[in-house]
Amino acid sequence: MTDVTTTEESPTGDDGAESRDALEPTAAYGHDGGISARVQRTDAWRSVFRHPTNDTPRGRALQSFSNFFLHLYPVKIPARVLKLRYSFRLGFISAVLFGILTATGIYLMFFYTPAVGSAYGDMQQIKTGVGFGELVRNVHRWSAHLMVLVVFLHLVRVFYAGAYKKPREFNWVIGVILLLLTLGLSFTGYLLPWDQLSYWAVTVGTDLVHYVPLIGNSLQSLLIGGDQIGQPTLLRFYALHVAVLPATVVLALSVHIWRVRKDGFAVQRSSVGTFSEEATTVPGTGPASAPVELYGGRTRVLGVVDRESVTAADRPVDDTVFTWPHLIVRHVVVALGVATVVLAIGVAAVAPLRGLANPNLTPEPAKAPWYFSGLQELLAHFDPVIAGILIPTAAVIALLLLPYIDRNPATEARHRKVAIVIFSGLLAIAVVLTVIGTFFRGPGWEFIPPWQHWYVEL
Amino acid sequence: MTSRRDFLRNGWKVGSALLAAAATWTLWESLRPLSTNTTSAIIKLGSPANFAADTATYVSEGRLYVTNATNPAGAQLFALSQKCPHLGCKVPFCTSSGRFECACHGSVFDIAGEWIEGPAPRGMDRIAMTLDGDNLVANTKDVTPGPDHGADQYFSEPKGPNCLGKG
Repeated sequence: MTDVTTTEESPTGDDGAESRDALEPTAAYGHDGGISARVQRTDAWRSVFRHPTNDTPRGRALQSFSNFFLHLYPVKIPARVLKLRYSFRLGFISAVLFGILTATGIYLMFFYTPAVGSAYGDMQQIKTGVGFGELVRNVHRWSAHLMVLVVFLHLVRVFYAGAYKKPREFNWVIGVILLLLTLGLSFTGYLLPWDQLSYWAVTVGTDLVHYVPLIGNSLQSLLIGGDQIGQPTLLRFYALHVAVLPATVVLALSVHIWRVRKDGFAVQRSSVGTFSEEATTVPGTGPASAPVELYGGRTRVLGVVDRESVTAADRPVDDTVFTWPHLIVRHVVVALGVATVVLAIGVAAVAPLRGLANPNLTPEPAKAPWYFSGLQELLAHFDPVIAGILIPTAAVIALLLLPYIDRNPATEARHRKVAIVIFSGLLAIAVVLTVIGTFFRGPGWEFIPPWQHWYVEL
Repeated sequence: MTSRRDFLRNGWKVGSALLAAAATWTLWESLRPLSTNTTSAIIKLGSPANFAADTATYVSEGRLYVTNATNPAGAQLFALSQKCPHLGCKVPFCTSSGRFECACHGSVFDIAGEWIEGPAPRGMDRIAMTLDGDNLVANTKDVTPGPDHGADQYFSEPKGPNCLGKG
C-alpha cells in the first residue's frame, strides 16, 4: 500500500500535480510545455479525466476503471476473443446498428408527426426538403433490415458454437427476446411512412393476431387501436417504435452484454474434453499442473464438460490481454466499417415510398415485410391457426427453452449431431419459406420466379 | 407453523403479484379501444333497384360491396365486407369471372361471398342491411362472420377468365 500514499515531486514544479494520481504515483501527464500537455495538467481536465493515459499495464487498467463507457468492458479479456472467427463480431455489429438506428431515428423524429393526415406528407418533405433527409431515411431503413438479419445470424452462430449452454442459458433467453424486440422495432417502424406498402404489410401482419384462440380479436383490437388500421394504430406503433421497444432493448441489451462479460465471452470451442479426477486440482492444494490423486490413485471419467464450467480459479491466467487498446481498437474499426457499409447502401439505394395509403385499394401482391414472408408463405398452405399461431409460437417457445432441453454439455459439432441436424433442418425450412415468400410470389400468391417479374420490396 | 418472517416475505410476494396484475389490467383497460360510435356506422345505399342481378357495387364509404346474387331459388342482396377473412386484404371483384378474387393469397369467393377456394377460413363477412322506406341502409357495426366452407348456395361456374392469372 505504500505506493498509494507515495508522492512524487513534480519535475515541472507544478505544485506536485502529477502526484494526484495516487494509484499510479509515477504516472505523468505530459511534462513538455505544449498546449495539450498544459491543458491536461489543469484541474478542470483532471476533474473529467482522472488519470493520465499511460501505456503501462496499470495505466490501461485505470483507463477502464475510470471511464464510464469502458466500464462496459472488463479490464482484461481472453486473447481468443480478439479473433474475428470467434464471433464474427455479429453481436457487436447488432449493437452498432442499433446505435445508428437510434441516431438516425432521432433525427427523423424532428421532421415527422404520427398523424394519418400528415405522416405521408412528412415523408415526402423528409425526402425533398430536409437536409440529408433522404440519406438519413435510407440509412435508417436499410440499417433496420440489416439489424434483423445480423441479429438472426448472431443467434444462428451462437447455436452452432454451442454458446447457449451452461452457464449461458439465461443469456440465450435474453438473446431470443432481443431478436423478438428487433422484429417488433422493425415492424412498428414499417407503418410510419403511411404509404401503400406499409399500410398493407401491417394490415396483413396484424391480421394474423386475430387467429389467437379466445383473445385474438381483443388482442388485435388492442394492437391496432380499433377494428382497422387507422390513426390509433399509427400512434400506437409510433409510441412502441420510438419509446417502449427501444427502452426495452437498451435494458435487455445491457443485461445481455453484462452476462457475456460475466460468462467469459465467447465459448472456447476447442476446450471440450474429458475431465477426470486425475486432472482436477483441489483449490488451495497446489498449482494446476500438480494433479491430486484421489481414491487411491484410480481415475474415473466423470463426464464430458465444457471448460467454461470450470471455475475461473482453474483457468490459466496468462491468456488474457488488455481490453484497451486490443479489443476497443477492433471494435472501433468494426463500427466504422458498419457505418461505412450502411452509408454506402443509403447512398446507392433509395428506401421505397409508394403512394399514400389507400384502405380501398390493395396492391398486388400485398406482402408482409421479408422477415414475416416465410410465415405468409406458410399461411398459404396451412390453416391460419396452425401456420399463423401454433407454428410461430412453438418456434419461439422452443428457442427460449433450447438450453434447458438440450442438456448435452458438449459444444463441438461432432458431439451434438442430433441438435445440429434438427436445428439445421428447421433453419433450412425457414430460409426456404422466406425466400419463396419474398422472391417467388406474385399477385394471388401465384408462383412467379423473380426473373420473370420482380415483386420484392423492402 | 409459519414464522413471522416467512409470513411477511410471502406477503410481499403476493402483494407484488397482485400489484402487477392490477397494473396489467389497468393498462389493458386503458389501451383497449373505446367504442367507435363516434363515426357513423349507418350507410345509405339507395334503392334496391340500383343493383342489377349478378353485379357487385363497391361502396367506399362503408368499405363494402353490395351484391345481387341469384340462384334458382331467386335473387338476394348482400352487403359484404371488403376485408378478406384470411388476412384482411381488400378483395376485388373480378367482373370477367363474376367472383371475388383476393390478390394477397388467392382466396376466391362467389358473388354472395361464399368461399370457393384458397386459404380463407370462411366466406366474406356480411354486413346487416335493412330497408328504410325505399332505401337500403347498411350498418357497418353489425357484422356477421361469413358462411363456413361448403355453403355453396350461390355457387356457379366462372363467367369468364379470372383476374389472378390462374390457369
